[in-house]
Amino acid sequence: MTTFEPGDRVRVRPSDKTGHVRTPDYLKGKTGWIESVRGEFRNPEDLAYGLSGRPERPLYKVGFRQADLWGDYEGPADDYLYADVYAHWLERYEGETV
Amino acid sequence: MTGVHDLGGSPGGPIDMSQHEVEDWERLADAVNAALGGKGLQTTDELRRAIESLENYKELGYYERWTAATELLLIEKGILTREEIDERSADLRRRWGVA
Amino acid sequence: MSDAHDHPHEEAGSGRTSSPYAARIRAIETLLLEKSVLTEAEIQDRISYMEARSPANGARLVARAWVDPEFKARLLSDTKGAAMELGIDASGPVEFVVVENTPKTHNLIVCTLCSCYPRAILGRPPDWYKSFNYRSRAVKEPRAVMREFGFEPPDGVEIVVHDSTADMRYMVLPMRPPGTEDMDEEELAALVTRDSLIGTDVPRYLVG
Repeated sequence: MTTFEPGDRVRVRPSDKTGHVRTPDYLKGKTGWIESVRGEFRNPEDLAYGLSGRPERPLYKVGFRQADLWGDYEGPADDYLYADVYAHWLERYEGETV
Repeated sequence: MTGVHDLGGSPGGPIDMSQHEVEDWERLADAVNAALGGKGLQTTDELRRAIESLENYKELGYYERWTAATELLLIEKGILTREEIDERSADLRRRWGVA
Repeated sequence: MSDAHDHPHEEAGSGRTSSPYAARIRAIETLLLEKSVLTEAEIQDRISYMEARSPANGARLVARAWVDPEFKARLLSDTKGAAMELGIDASGPVEFVVVENTPKTHNLIVCTLCSCYPRAILGRPPDWYKSFNYRSRAVKEPRAVMREFGFEPPDGVEIVVHDSTADMRYMVLPMRPPGTEDMDEEELAALVTRDSLIGTDVPRYLVG
């Protein structure tokens, strides 16, 4: 998995993995930025089934513009949302900056 | 596939702001889960996974989901059986005089 | 005070058996006790733990942060440590993040996937926080949700939603209302509502 630094632009993987997943659907495929690194944690997808969840992987505070999450967001462009997303759910985003 | 619990961005109605008084059995559901967790018999992740797997997730109340999930995990881990829980619940309901 | 452990585990009155799950969790409890998987003391400790926690803890943390800038810095950087200074035991595997409201930014907390909440500090979340409607709408239409709670942020304030998706639990540090300069900590704490710690409202002080 890729690891990131604050400021990196990222996209949440549009994976349709089933089972216990802590990346909500509404974030999948969306682009945002790494705000900060929360630390390293075990994978809840495995912990949920009694597995070790190792190796620990970085958990990131990821920021998203609300206007990028919802086509019909009612509010100013400055409104945003943070979610805590595990490294294995993120990929580097090389697209154009708005 | 979206899990039934994955609600962010789903359509929703007005927020019901009423607060029900927590009942003793709900305190107990909380406490049993916390105690099982404290002894390493169950993790938060397992509980969440079990709750998310409930077919009647949307029909159950909050602590009803916790109770159903706790039962699922205890049976999965071989700590209790469905039969003994069924039997004991029926006993209690008879003693309480409820259907 | 809970009488959950009066023997022989009778639920007094039909009000206590509003759900068929009441008997199931009681059955589970008695079986676990009989098999020595859990003890009465372990269960009672957990009941007491939750009963001892309430939004009053959050109010005290906020009031102290309002009067003591160095405490505020510690609250933001080491929430568990700061809580312990005020005798609030929030120890455990869960991590806490306190997010500060400013004149430019108002924070709103939600857990869309379940009901993650800083229980070790604030106790149980309100029913509405756990509701499907709040979990669905807070991320997509936070301003409409806050309006339902009677809160309209001033012009120019950006709304920041935090979805507690992983190992962190969030609490809002609201701004100190104007006109409260002469209040002591206890008076300030009384202004800090539970909803202002979640972000659906702000502390209010109406002068005169």
